[in-house]
Amino acid sequence: MKKNLGSFVVGDSTKCTGCKACEVACFAVHSRQNNPVGKTVGTVTVPVTPKLYLTRFEQGCMPIQCKHCEDAPCLNVCTKGAISRIDNQVIVDPEKCIGCKDCMQACPFGAIALLPYAKDGKLAAQAMGETKVFASKCDLCAGVEGGPACVRVCPHQALRLVDPEAEAEEKKIKAAEALLMTKNWR
Amino acid sequence: MIVAIDQNLCTGCRECAEVCPAYAIVGEQGKPQTIDTSRCVMCGQCVQKCKSYVSILTHGKDAYEKVKKERNIPDCVQEPLFAAHAVCNIDKVNAALADPEKLTMVQCAPAVRVAIAEEFGADLGTLAPGKLAAALRKIGFDRVYDTNFPADVTIMEEGTELIKRVTQGGVLPMFTSCCPAWVKFMENTYPEIKDHLSSCKSPQQMGGAIFKTYGAELEGTDGSKVFSVSVMPCTCKEFECERPEMKDSGYRDVDVVMTTRDLAWLIKSKNIDWDALAEEEFDQPLGLYTGAGTIFGVTGGVMEAAIRTGYELITGQPIPDVEVTAVRGTEGFRVSHLKVGDLTLKVGVVTGLKNVVPVIEAMKAGQLDLHFIEVMTCPEGCVSGGGQPKLLMDTDRAEAYAARRKATFDHDKELPYRKSHENPAIKKIYDEFLKEPNGPIAHHLLHTKYCIK
Repeated sequence: MKKNLGSFVVGDSTKCTGCKACEVACFAVHSRQNNPVGKTVGTVTVPVTPKLYLTRFEQGCMPIQCKHCEDAPCLNVCTKGAISRIDNQVIVDPEKCIGCKDCMQACPFGAIALLPYAKDGKLAAQAMGETKVFASKCDLCAGVEGGPACVRVCPHQALRLVDPEAEAEEKKIKAAEALLMTKNWR
Repeated sequence: MIVAIDQNLCTGCRECAEVCPAYAIVGEQGKPQTIDTSRCVMCGQCVQKCKSYVSILTHGKDAYEKVKKERNIPDCVQEPLFAAHAVCNIDKVNAALADPEKLTMVQCAPAVRVAIAEEFGADLGTLAPGKLAAALRKIGFDRVYDTNFPADVTIMEEGTELIKRVTQGGVLPMFTSCCPAWVKFMENTYPEIKDHLSSCKSPQQMGGAIFKTYGAELEGTDGSKVFSVSVMPCTCKEFECERPEMKDSGYRDVDVVMTTRDLAWLIKSKNIDWDALAEEEFDQPLGLYTGAGTIFGVTGGVMEAAIRTGYELITGQPIPDVEVTAVRGTEGFRVSHLKVGDLTLKVGVVTGLKNVVPVIEAMKAGQLDLHFIEVMTCPEGCVSGGGQPKLLMDTDRAEAYAARRKATFDHDKELPYRKSHENPAIKKIYDEFLKEPNGPIAHHLLHTKYCIK
């Protein structure tokens, strides 16, 4: 089946303990793409900048991350062309991002944070020398082997990759099977 | 405190409580946790587990530098810092290095050489004894010795002790005493079985005691001039070296302990380019070691090393196969029966401290028929110690432990001597100084009493 809708990762606050293993793994696999980050903590030379955010609320905690909206407000408001849709996923190009915060304001889920941008093991500088920041948000681990790292490392399986069309299809099939059972009583 | 949880950083997830073998982490879910020091064995598995890092978003821009300062971590460090952490003694090491009156002697544990390269981006389990020795020399230690040498001494002492207990009707089973977290747990929880513990000090403490006596003699000086540093995969080794009884030479055996992670920090803070280091040798004679010494770093290794020597001491014959694969493995409790001449030696290996409880209970109930039991607190022995490089993702753990284990056994295979009693430096130290295993000098310096309150 051809995929028309973007996937996304969703957390489950009934399983989440708030350990932040997802945030650290998210940072590790992404920073590895343009920094010399190995498998151990000692190889890191830059601040931890995750793309999903453990969030506490009265009833518990869970990570919040991008829904990869179809009519993505962040993408719509970005005046620098730093946000684009690639393979149904909403992706930020940190090189183009100027840290204007429009996307942050536009996102209805608070799934974007402005965080320091690091390259080649060092913090990148803005034009006036201060640390460059960028809109850090979930890219569903685009280009990362094994898929979303947060899902893989969660010790309680509190994160799940949702394929909305496949899930709807599954539900429709279940509904059809249930209806078939009602035939004799119709 | 040697292992602590930062109240400002802890999210109260209690993942550390899941791995704590001593049930020492207390607190309500979702609230900062504290360590019950009366139970804690300082194994540092909580330090390995914790992912609650100092975050710009949660704690602010200045928090990172503040936490780094509080923990005495070198300025150059920029890696993530977490709520659960261990004490850092690099400042004490630097002070000793800068003191012209001190002769600094360093030793590093078997498991350090199979893990430290990971902190410089090498593959998990990269074997790097040569670079390790070179880095320590470059840092400025006067003598670059090795814990693998006193591990060989431990085999001579512990093997002899075991043979005496077996042949002369001593307390059996005998438990190994080289893991300080296990010793602490036994003292906390089962002091009534203390006579089952080998009287041997750990290799680290034997090393320290030897450095400040024989080592000082070799330099024409005395123990008061020697500053003894060890690099350990273990957070509990600092506790062990601070034990008041560990000063039989008249001086503290080991003055300060660094973990593998600490040493990586120290190397970075001295601007030493790890990748560019040419391999060097450890200093002689107290850095000459066998394969038996190096396998102390993995679960079953002390047992295997003891059997390699014990077999030959008992039978007077070479052991048919130097690799005692029967005691290898990673299961929490493994039992083997080994034919040693006319004797069937019954041995057990425990790894992961929680697994020792049913073993002790069985022993107390008279249902355990074994001569000798090795106990290591950490999941797969010292290669998985609390002071080892910490993984960013726990999904890499199995690979890391397997690679470090393999590197340890590979190193054993490539060494010219693989049995402790065949180490020429062992023969030399017994000839010149210790005289005989379990003899009066050895007993005074290398053995101790546990459960001293």
